Amino acid sequence: MKNYIFLLALGLGFVACRKEESNKFDGPSLTDLNGAFVIINGLQASQDSVDFAAGESVYFTADLSKTSAWKITITGQTSGAVKEMTGLSSSIELSQSVWTGNTTNLPIFKAEMCKVDLTFTNEPDTLTVYVKVLAPKINTGFLISDFESGFNGGWTSFVQAGANMDFQIKSDVSAPEGNSYYNMAGTVDWDWLIGLVNFNASAYGASTFPLSSNPNNVYFNVMMYGEPGLTNSLVLFQFEEDENGDGAFTSASEDMYSLQVTVDWVGWKMVSIKYSDIPCLVNGSPAAPNGEGTHQSNKVRAINMLHLANPNSGFAKAKLDYMIFTENAPLNP
Amino acid sequence: MKYILTFFLTIFAFSFFSQEDKKVQFVGGARSIISNADFSSDQEDTVTSRKNSGGYALIDLGFKINPNASTEILGMVRIKNAFGGFWGSGVTFDVRQLYVKGVVKNALRYQIGNIDYKLTPYTFYNHNADLLVQSSSVLKIKEEVLNYESFYKNNTWRQQGAAIDFALQFPKVVDEIKVNSFITRLNPSNLGNILERLYGGGNVIFTQSKYLTLGFNHVSIFDLKNTALNENAYRNNVSSVSYKATLDLKKHIFGISGESGISSSALSLDTTGGLNDYFINVQANYQHKKSGLKAHVGYMDNGADFRSFGAQSKRVDFNQLNNFYERYTNDQIVRPLSNYDLYNDPTLYSNSITTGIMAYNPAVNNALPYGIATFNRRGLFAGLKYATKKESIKFESNYYRLGEVRGQGTTNLRNFNSVNANLEFNFSKMFNWKKEQKLTAGYAFQDTKRTSDLSYEQISLKSTTLNLGLEMELVDDLYLLANSYYFKSKGNESMPVRNAEGEIINYTAMNISGEELCLAGGLKYNFTPSIYLAAIYESNANSFSSVSSYRYNQFYIYYIMKF
Repeated sequence: MKNYIFLLALGLGFVACRKEESNKFDGPSLTDLNGAFVIINGLQASQDSVDFAAGESVYFTADLSKTSAWKITITGQTSGAVKEMTGLSSSIELSQSVWTGNTTNLPIFKAEMCKVDLTFTNEPDTLTVYVKVLAPKINTGFLISDFESGFNGGWTSFVQAGANMDFQIKSDVSAPEGNSYYNMAGTVDWDWLIGLVNFNASAYGASTFPLSSNPNNVYFNVMMYGEPGLTNSLVLFQFEEDENGDGAFTSASEDMYSLQVTVDWVGWKMVSIKYSDIPCLVNGSPAAPNGEGTHQSNKVRAINMLHLANPNSGFAKAKLDYMIFTENAPLNP
Repeated sequence: MKYILTFFLTIFAFSFFSQEDKKVQFVGGARSIISNADFSSDQEDTVTSRKNSGGYALIDLGFKINPNASTEILGMVRIKNAFGGFWGSGVTFDVRQLYVKGVVKNALRYQIGNIDYKLTPYTFYNHNADLLVQSSSVLKIKEEVLNYESFYKNNTWRQQGAAIDFALQFPKVVDEIKVNSFITRLNPSNLGNILERLYGGGNVIFTQSKYLTLGFNHVSIFDLKNTALNENAYRNNVSSVSYKATLDLKKHIFGISGESGISSSALSLDTTGGLNDYFINVQANYQHKKSGLKAHVGYMDNGADFRSFGAQSKRVDFNQLNNFYERYTNDQIVRPLSNYDLYNDPTLYSNSITTGIMAYNPAVNNALPYGIATFNRRGLFAGLKYATKKESIKFESNYYRLGEVRGQGTTNLRNFNSVNANLEFNFSKMFNWKKEQKLTAGYAFQDTKRTSDLSYEQISLKSTTLNLGLEMELVDDLYLLANSYYFKSKGNESMPVRNAEGEIINYTAMNISGEELCLAGGLKYNFTPSIYLAAIYESNANSFSSVSSYRYNQFYIYYIMKF
């Protein structure tokens, strides 16, 4: 009988020991998810003006009565640039809402007044504050061109004698960065090539572009514009490597990697690619490179940008802006 | 073809060997099923095939080899042929079982290869949590097929590994000490991010006398470090004490039994310490010797963070899709798993231990979806069991009055009432008839409630299952079978949505309302007790889908043989 009493006591002892759990629950609060939506603390910016060029940032805060799907939309009042941030929470904090001056949709923000809207997926409320950008962020990397300083004398170009040819730097408010971009347009009905520009490293006072030797750390970035109603533009970037260091590119014995972009979208778009991911192409098809066969980003001596289109496709048009090499990550404009 | 020829030549050679010294025996079974279904739904459906017929024949052929008196080797192969695919596609050839077992020095038993193993209900146990009423008549045939396919025998899990058992007997103080241990492999490494995962453990059971037994049990699921690039190794440990004590009086037997223990589960890089909790299950037992009436009443407290995946793995993963009429209506909506599918489709069942919280259907079993080892349950339970001496009447019933230990999304707790009862009348034993006549009835009811002033916290869900089965022997060995299975559920639930680590991240509101009725009848002829042929017709109607009710009629022919 002693055994029974012992075991019973053991069991009851366990029961008595259970820690109190009546004030705890697992998972997110149902009240947070289903209760009435009330804005407890409205949208606030950590500062009303920000100098991104000086490394400053701004963040936004708000407190809600329940967990809600929210979206912060920052719109440049001059540039039209848009930065979006989303989340699912009952409070918006620094970790979820910090803005370092980058953009979600091109163009890039300028020094301008920005409107900041906080909206909610299932609620009609919109909260608004304004933040003034004193200076836009500065992107680190090797800038090939933003076309703000005109056509570099070290570049070379060729434009076919076709119809409605318009290869030139233009300046207007549609530029995704600054005020200028490179326009490429025309009709060439006898050849795929419409025009080209050779961005030679020598234009920057060096035999090769000053890039890291690790091709996995080097990213090529360019902003490209697709014209409404036209999808026939092909933009081919050829990266010539001077593998033997003789100051020239020998196509028969040195590597050339090519990035071919079909511009089949409308508006400005950021294109980024890791240098080691750029293939070798012959007539648009992957092929073995003619040289050492390894990507050597520190030996790129020229970037040839060719605007191509099927000669039977008629008028082709595309625009370029802000060509830049970045390290470690694609450009976050 | 070459392999098939070699296979049959091997059988032929072994059969001679077998006849000479009985060192080789053939064991196994054969089964053939032919079915024809006629499906229809309330909504216009010009996409889903209205008729569906199919079937297969299979043979499981095992060689049980005894090279000596203390060793047994079993290898079993399965040849399966889907009808319409003879001598080509549709024929599969698999290894179904493979093990070596034996006894060392008449003391230590071992088994390597496939092992069917269990320890205790909280450590390593295959709970049957989704078929709440006893199967009879037509459903019994189906459940036997399910159990055979997945090796479900006495709540064991079929695993691959090794087991060693031995016992020591003593003249004084303790009658016997029994030691059981096992190690199995749950998953292999992929040499990338998945580590080699093993499951091992055992118990030591002290039998002091026939009146007192005490067991110490431990199981552990663990990843082997350095078997992949992943540094984050998982571990789930469960340790328990189980006990059973009886007091045998002249007219009555009283007893107390139960199991209590602790669990911990964590990833090695988890700095929070993972989940740790404990469980208690203690019950008082009573038996009236003369009448055979047995009763028990008990208390259980399974912590909200109690994890024991060897006992909490479900046979059916309710996240999977049906294999039979997976979609229907012109919109091809998914047809969710029904009770009919649970009885009809052996491929829905698994025999693997899942290291994670498996999905369940709250309409089927919301009170104890993972059996008695379900975490986050606390409350009382009671049971009755009665059988007449001739077993002409058998009755068994269990009742659970449980509640959550910790709320989900709220401090308000769910409460559960669950009762099930099975009654069997064996008229042939009752009236000494030569021919078997048996009527069985099964009933299960569950009620879930969470009360709150806030409407979005309120939960009310009721489910009822009723099963009636009849087996009548018309002439010698020819039986009439009839079955009526009814399931109804109505109410709402808020099902937790969990991430890969098992944490609740959201809830899915479920509104459940529907009925399922399956009427079945047929004939069964027993060639021998282990060989029979059955022809069954059944009609199933299901109204659980909010989009479209459906029904189908199905005709089956079963041929089942065991040898």
